[in-house]
Amino acid sequence: METIKNALDFSDFPRFDLIIAGLVFLFLLTFPVFPFSAFAMATIIQFLMFSLYGMGWNTIGGYGGQVDLGKAQYVGIGAYTTAVMLIRWDIPFWVSMPVGVFFAVCWSFIIGYPLFRLKGHYFAIATIATSLVLKDLFEVWGFVGAARGLEISPIKYHPPDFLRLIFKEDAYYYYVLLGFFVLGILYINWFRKSRLGFQLRCIKDNEDVARSLGINVHLAKVKTYAIATAFVSVVGSFHACYIKVIEPEDTMSLNISILIALMAMLGGAGSLWGPIIGAGILIPLKSYLKEWLGATAGLVGIDLVIYAMIIMAISAFEPKGIWGIVQRVRRRKRK
Amino acid sequence: MDILLSSIVAGLLLGMVLAIVALGLTIIFGVMDIVNFAHGEFLMIGMYTGLLTAQATGIDPLLTLPVAAAVGFVLGIICYTGFIRFLLRGPMIAQLLGTFGLMLLLRNLALLIFGSEDRALHHGILVGKSFDIGMGIIIPATKLAAAGLSIAAFGGVWLLMNRTRIGQALTATSLNAQGARYMGIPTQRMNALAWGIGGGTVTIAGALIVNFWSVNPFIGLLFTMIAFAIVALGGFGSVPGAFFAGLVVGIITEIPGFWDFLTYTFNWEWMADVPMTSLKYMWVYLAYFLIMVLRPRGLFGWKQ
Repeated sequence: METIKNALDFSDFPRFDLIIAGLVFLFLLTFPVFPFSAFAMATIIQFLMFSLYGMGWNTIGGYGGQVDLGKAQYVGIGAYTTAVMLIRWDIPFWVSMPVGVFFAVCWSFIIGYPLFRLKGHYFAIATIATSLVLKDLFEVWGFVGAARGLEISPIKYHPPDFLRLIFKEDAYYYYVLLGFFVLGILYINWFRKSRLGFQLRCIKDNEDVARSLGINVHLAKVKTYAIATAFVSVVGSFHACYIKVIEPEDTMSLNISILIALMAMLGGAGSLWGPIIGAGILIPLKSYLKEWLGATAGLVGIDLVIYAMIIMAISAFEPKGIWGIVQRVRRRKRK
Repeated sequence: MDILLSSIVAGLLLGMVLAIVALGLTIIFGVMDIVNFAHGEFLMIGMYTGLLTAQATGIDPLLTLPVAAAVGFVLGIICYTGFIRFLLRGPMIAQLLGTFGLMLLLRNLALLIFGSEDRALHHGILVGKSFDIGMGIIIPATKLAAAGLSIAAFGGVWLLMNRTRIGQALTATSLNAQGARYMGIPTQRMNALAWGIGGGTVTIAGALIVNFWSVNPFIGLLFTMIAFAIVALGGFGSVPGAFFAGLVVGIITEIPGFWDFLTYTFNWEWMADVPMTSLKYMWVYLAYFLIMVLRPRGLFGWKQ
């Protein structure tokens, strides 16, 4: 009971923020009613997916300060578990998703224990290495389709199929994902006020102090890593049902990992709204740049050039992200 | 037996070239504690420089090294003064993502300019020639020359770092930047120089590698990860460490060859079914992970 009350309690934010958040939520809730193009729909589903990825990353990367650049492997584990179970044994999404989370969390414990002996750069690069190892293995593993990947063919099922999450219209996917999105926000809202959340922020500020206060630093990190993993894996499972074609190159590449970290950092790592703001800016920018400059003007790669420049500008001049700017402006006003 | 020997020789030759790929990374890391994700992209630029210079002027590809070195040196200094300087003030995550942004920028600029197709060298004195030294070992002339030049370049950098005043200033900056500043060493300029040397050596490596490896805009990441593994094994910031670790990683990339050797020697059929060639680079990543976990300082490292 206490937990639910805590998760629903947003009272420590200024009223202005809550009004904005309410308006955005109202917009998201009614979005499919408006006659937007299918492209806009796909973009906003991407936005929701990446804000969920970002929220997961934010627990370990933002609150905990451990830069993890290997989240794509868990997207892969979630997506492959769901796809394999659906294709081979016809097991519905709502069963395979928890199984995927279980696998992902187990794997995160296996590699998390040695990984968290490392710090800083070393940790970041080691997470990349583990992710690439898993990707290479999936590329040769015949059971999961090797490099060709798996394809869920929607013809066999009768959409709308709510058990297996096979739909014809994107609006269904959208509302399922929106449900996950709301749950994710509530969970993170609870998490940041939980015991583990406070322990993590202490670890981020000063690990030695945290240890002297009796916090089991290593265990706290591993636990949070598993939480972040669970978030990513759930969305990975959804990704499998939504995209329907899963290949190692698309689901587990380094770009996905970096994009996840980038969302959270652009918006502001270590804040509740940060990853959502980041995804809300980057995802539409990315897909529309690609549409306009890449596909229409025929300049392959120019969308990513502009994108890269934005990343460079943010990391050089505003490493605290957009939320950092907002807070600075507020502090100045108060004076 | 033949397979085993030729795998070892091939691994060592490749290792010498890979060592010089990692050299720039270890210098940059040693001097200013920043991990450069764009390192492989510098290599890619070196490869294109070598290839295009050789094709445009018609000279032998091995003679394009000075051009590649100059391009890399200038590029490194531009990157430092124009971008990395600002990153150093921020937190670590900003540095990581910043150099990742640089990598994306260089890669996609290359894609925009050169297109996505593979390009390879088809002319040159050494291209296509090889020595047969018996025992079934065949050494491609390009690889031998590349390995020799890489050793020469390594020696040059080692002399620069250990026998000149500039090298001593660089070492001082990497040991204690604040102390070096008090001693009157312009650390900002030393950082820029480290980026220049780092860029120069890796583009040399690129111009060497293009002799036996085709180039496309996406080739950088593989070499970045290999360079990370070498630097981790040799110890972050150690120049001799990078050389020996390069040899070790060269041998690691030949694991499929050893696998074949075992398959034929013992005639185990299940071994032939494992798609080892596709897993060639997985061993490098795995080695990186294991080294970092078991011995974070590497073989010769002094930075923790």
